Amino acid sequence: MQSAQQLINGLMLGGILAFVAVAFTLTIGMLNFLNFTIPALFMLAAMVTWALSASGEHIFALGLPWYAAAAIGIAVAMVASLIIERFTYRYLKAHYGDATEHALPLVSSLGFLIIFEHAVITLWGSDPQRLELPFRDMDLHFAGLIVGIPHLFSLGLAITLVWVLSWLLKRSSIGRALRAIAENPDAATLMGVEVARIVPVVFLVTGMLSALAGILYGFSYSTVTPYIGDAVATDAITGMVLGGLGNVWGAIVGGLLVGLIKVFAISQFGAEIEKIPVWGLLLLILIIRPTGIFGKSRLGRGKF
Amino acid sequence: MNGAELSLAGVCKSFGGLTVIDHLGFTVKRGSRTALIGPNGAGKTTVFNLVSGVYPIDDGTISLDGEDISIVSPAGRIGHGISRSFQNIRLMPHLSTIENVMLGEHWRRPAFSLARGRRAVESVKAALADAGLQTYPGQVVANLPYGIQKRIEVVRALLAEPKILMLDEPAAGLNNAESDDLRALLERVSARGITLLVVEHDMHFVRRLCDHVVVLNFGRLIFEGTPEEVHRDPAVLEAYLGTDARAVQSDNTAKAR
Amino acid sequence: MSGYMSGVLAVLLINMVIAYSVFLPAAAGLLNLGAAGFVLIGGYTAGGLTSRAGWPLVPAILVAGLFAGVVAFVLAFPILRTRGVYMVLATFAFAEVVGGIYLNIPSLGGATGLSVSTYAGLPVIIPTTVCVVAFVAWLLSTRLGLAMRAAHDDENVSLLFGVNLRMVQVAAFTAGGALGGIGGALLVHQFNFIDVQTTGVLFSIYVLLYVLIGGTQTAWGPFAGALFFTVVPEILRTMSKLDPSMKFLEAGRFIVFGIAVVLIMVVRPEGLITRTLIEKVQGSLRRLAARETAA
Repeated sequence: MQSAQQLINGLMLGGILAFVAVAFTLTIGMLNFLNFTIPALFMLAAMVTWALSASGEHIFALGLPWYAAAAIGIAVAMVASLIIERFTYRYLKAHYGDATEHALPLVSSLGFLIIFEHAVITLWGSDPQRLELPFRDMDLHFAGLIVGIPHLFSLGLAITLVWVLSWLLKRSSIGRALRAIAENPDAATLMGVEVARIVPVVFLVTGMLSALAGILYGFSYSTVTPYIGDAVATDAITGMVLGGLGNVWGAIVGGLLVGLIKVFAISQFGAEIEKIPVWGLLLLILIIRPTGIFGKSRLGRGKF
Repeated sequence: MNGAELSLAGVCKSFGGLTVIDHLGFTVKRGSRTALIGPNGAGKTTVFNLVSGVYPIDDGTISLDGEDISIVSPAGRIGHGISRSFQNIRLMPHLSTIENVMLGEHWRRPAFSLARGRRAVESVKAALADAGLQTYPGQVVANLPYGIQKRIEVVRALLAEPKILMLDEPAAGLNNAESDDLRALLERVSARGITLLVVEHDMHFVRRLCDHVVVLNFGRLIFEGTPEEVHRDPAVLEAYLGTDARAVQSDNTAKAR
Repeated sequence: MSGYMSGVLAVLLINMVIAYSVFLPAAAGLLNLGAAGFVLIGGYTAGGLTSRAGWPLVPAILVAGLFAGVVAFVLAFPILRTRGVYMVLATFAFAEVVGGIYLNIPSLGGATGLSVSTYAGLPVIIPTTVCVVAFVAWLLSTRLGLAMRAAHDDENVSLLFGVNLRMVQVAAFTAGGALGGIGGALLVHQFNFIDVQTTGVLFSIYVLLYVLIGGTQTAWGPFAGALFFTVVPEILRTMSKLDPSMKFLEAGRFIVFGIAVVLIMVVRPEGLITRTLIEKVQGSLRRLAARETAA
């Protein structure tokens, strides 16, 4: 019974990690760019949702209903993601002759991570805040097991969204253009794909996925801080690598696996040890099988 | 310094099912000035890449003075006396002229010796002066004009003290005066006994510099002989027809004059 | 010198040492997002030696550097199999694993951290920093340093000119690791304390930013980067204290830092200090000197 509950807890955490892992893998798969602003977007949406829905002394304490606050949170993250696109990916197209200068977008995205995290701290401080749905009981109880409804919803939504995304990538004209860009941005430009208009779509989707994940995370664990993005992102990156860079279904499987590993490691060895299994696993995969379970080897080698 | 004899026998190379070099065999004689020509896509640069070790060969042998070098690692081939330049300039953009050129002699210097030791700098400066580049030693190459960068590549390859110097389109993009300077430099190099293998589109340059011509098409050898004979060969003319035929013909008329 | 000033100077110099630890691999074209790992190894090694084994400070610093260097050497071979994003992630993961390991060594304080009583003030930090900078300058001026910079610009061509790429990259990574260890040893004795939180997730990111913002082409890059990003936040903090209307800068200074990072990448994508910049400065100095002799 104990371990069955652990399994459920692991899958529930994994559902949220899978969400973030999909956001990471999309930008890497489409644009060959490790987007370090995803944890910032994740946190930003959750904090905005809290600030707008809670009543209190803080700035923007509007006391909005939770769904309105969440919608605005998602919108803010998507707009932020577009601003990020303007200053990061656009510079990928600058070709330099050596290795480290390809790090440009990576560096800019690290800069944005710092900006957003401290903007939120400046506005609302760094204390943990309570974020709660107005429903009385958010857990399903059956056969002695507890399943969080937001968790369940999160996992379901992640799978649905990924299914929709992969369908769109295959069928829609934007999807075809994106795959052309992923294959070769220069050739795509020559073939008449308007790279400058298509790429922001990836960033909008990234912003939306990160924001949804952040808000669901906040509701699931009832707490938000300006730092929630960091830990989740590191776990999600491990999930992404595990599933193989650029593979959306791989990201879901990887995210769920990392959730399970994390929950079991903590229950077996205690919270102090939590870093070692996840990061050790990441290091090991990168060295032994960098393509992950389902990945393509081409990605992630040249640029950052 | 002595030249070496390079010979290819039955060399094959394909990329993803596309055969680029097909049972190719020819010999570059010791101390000769050989040109490797052919229409675009004939596999000239691939031959350079196979000899210098950028790609491994699929089949056949590449030997230098009878020693099979196709099994030598890419980094080890320069020690056997092979050095080259590149079709598109491949200098280190953030290094100065002198540092770029010093890379040429890197393989024969100990790792912890000072790169800017006085004796080392002087010998490098002498080599630069010999190529007429004495004015640019400290400048970052990325900011130098194309023709200068092209010549820096030749000096870099020369400083490796090669037995065979392979130049990929050294005269491309140079004006007449620069091209004449380059030819004079290569003649001095040749006089030291070093074997020259040159890929070049400018037939005028080839005819004045080279004593032997190897013609490729579709990765196969279609002709070998002197620069005079090459224009009369029907296979060569056919290979060039529709691509570079006019260049060959105009070159013929130039010669007739 | 006031206590505040010497404190800032000490932090600046330690940041520089750590920046050089990431600069060496970066100069050879390798991105190391794992500075925190080597800093922790050096810090815990030196701190353990002085506080638990009663070693004097200087040998402890040297052994810390040596040990971090050995770890870097052993790690270099598997890490160098990875490229690009994979290498960034692998070095980052390495740092987190190191943090996780020290968190679970109770004899070195575990989660409560390691307190040491030996203090490293400026009389130790200044000469160590000078030695580190001199070492980096010397290394870059050797044939090995030339090969490193050549590998940074074009690995394939370097290989064809006989550069032993693997050896050069392992050497750069190892030397960088050793410098990181020395930086960590200075850090623990400056603050008399180290724990895994000392180097949070953002630590390695900041150090990599010092280097990439400063520029990887010359040894001046990390110097300028560390200077810029240690001094500017301090100035902003001082301003926030002087004038109540600038209070927002207290927490907001990091926003300014982040904006500076983004803008510098737009304006100077190759970093603040480039070879071309130095060339221009030298050119105008020479012209100035010529004008003075003429006059």
